[in-house]
Amino acid sequence: MTGHRRSVLLASPVVAVLLALSVAPLALVLVWSFWQWDPAIYWMRPAFVLDAYQSVVGTDRLIVIVRTARIALITAALALLLGYPVALFMDRFATARERTILMLLFLVPFFTSYIIRTFAWRLVLGRTGLINSFLVRAGLREEPLEWLLFSDFAVHVGLLASYLPFMIFPLLLAFGRIDRSLIEASEDLGGTFGQTLRHVILPLTAPGMFAGSLFVFVMALGSSVEVQFLGGAAASMIAIMIQDVIRVLNFPLAFAISTSVVLFLILLLIVGSRFLGLARLFASVAR
Amino acid sequence: MSAMIGPSRRWLRAGLAGYTWIVVLFIYLPPVYLLLLSFNPGLLPSVPTLSNLSLKWYRALLDEARMLDALQASVMVAVVTAVVTTVLALLGGLAYRRMAANAQVGFFVFVVFPMFVPGVIQGLALSVILRVLGVTFSGWTVVAGHLLWSLPVVFIVLLTSFSVLRGSLAEAAQDLGASEWRVFWDITFPLIRPGIISGASFALLLSFNEFIRAFFLVGGQDTLPIYMFGAMNAGTSPTIYSLAGSTLLLSALGFGLALVGLTLLKTRRGWAHRAVQSS
Repeated sequence: MTGHRRSVLLASPVVAVLLALSVAPLALVLVWSFWQWDPAIYWMRPAFVLDAYQSVVGTDRLIVIVRTARIALITAALALLLGYPVALFMDRFATARERTILMLLFLVPFFTSYIIRTFAWRLVLGRTGLINSFLVRAGLREEPLEWLLFSDFAVHVGLLASYLPFMIFPLLLAFGRIDRSLIEASEDLGGTFGQTLRHVILPLTAPGMFAGSLFVFVMALGSSVEVQFLGGAAASMIAIMIQDVIRVLNFPLAFAISTSVVLFLILLLIVGSRFLGLARLFASVAR
Repeated sequence: MSAMIGPSRRWLRAGLAGYTWIVVLFIYLPPVYLLLLSFNPGLLPSVPTLSNLSLKWYRALLDEARMLDALQASVMVAVVTAVVTTVLALLGGLAYRRMAANAQVGFFVFVVFPMFVPGVIQGLALSVILRVLGVTFSGWTVVAGHLLWSLPVVFIVLLTSFSVLRGSLAEAAQDLGASEWRVFWDITFPLIRPGIISGASFALLLSFNEFIRAFFLVGGQDTLPIYMFGAMNAGTSPTIYSLAGSTLLLSALGFGLALVGLTLLKTRRGWAHRAVQSS
């Protein structure tokens, strides 16, 4: 029992800090989202009204939410398509040296500025950017391509470049958990690479695919810099909408949007760990 | 891979390898291109020729007082964040090891959860509660926001580094009558020190580069990413490129140093191990 008491003692600082800085503020935001805005005092009065939620689903705010979800979904799907062969190569084909180098290369972006990496895409995709100047100089185009930058295309490119590592690492985790003897058995029985991939590797890496897609989806859902730097003039995302709403001091509305997003994410995480082995995948991290 | 011998596997390997390096290029091309531009002496962005490389805009950075203030603020915030994060994550990690499997899952999800909350929402929620509590915004409130981003990452890093701990060593020490503290200092801590060092460096870099969580929490003094965001949106001065370039180089250098430190520690441990075996 002392072991138990000690683990509670050791865990308490982390729990206290996270409760104070993350859970409590989010819980208050939830409560405040039902309060009523009082212009006289520039703050809210205790109440239980759904005004804020009504204005979330009304008007063009819903369009932004649906648009954001669509962009995040497409980004997650593309990241899975682009990332899976990379993880496959790293786990099944690469030498130990290549694997280490690639791991490090995919790790570095986590620790460099996403603002800078996103801004850098402007220089590549812009009217006078790397790609357009190449196309024009090579005589492939008379005029620079306009849709490369300040477009949904650019937003997807920026999001993918930012969050692809979030797909690759969970996939590698899942690959690492495959029992090698299953693959060998499939091959010894004369299975081609395609058959082994389809019947053994793909099903067994499904938790990694789900975890990676969930990560990318969640990161993209909350992103703002990519759209601010690369999106078109009218482009908005949930995160930008929240900032706009705060700027005009409509706190209950900002809180209602935030609450909806956070509850949706919690739901996703619960479904993920319940039915798709998310927690088991991560338990293997700590083994 | 017995069934796949010969050319077909070799072609598959070559194809996947080529593809993988294209994906690497996709991620690295823009920042490397930006770096190239930053050494261009002209006013308009263009790729400098080899003879034309210039540190002009890097030198010009040293005259930007507001930028230097922001840099100083960011470094201070990052150092404090790294220390606090590492201590908290270490305690959490040690607690995690002693938990029952059920409790582990719950605790893990709880600690990692803030990573999933969009930065805008987390920053906004924290800033509102602090404002209501009458807290003055400063570097400390920025640290509070950055913690929520760095703590989950460092926690995961530390958990992975715990895999080097073999229960038997600690148990042996305990059987020999060592106190809990002695076991920690003499066995656990030296073994996980590489993990602690990399965790702390990662926290430092994550904090140094974090923008959106700080955005709602800064006091009078902007952090470097906030300053940089403003400068990029204003978008005229060529010092943006040198500022971005030096920030990228600093981050890569920090990452590299953390790696070198880790490798050195590992080799040293290898030597010690061999010395023990041969004696």
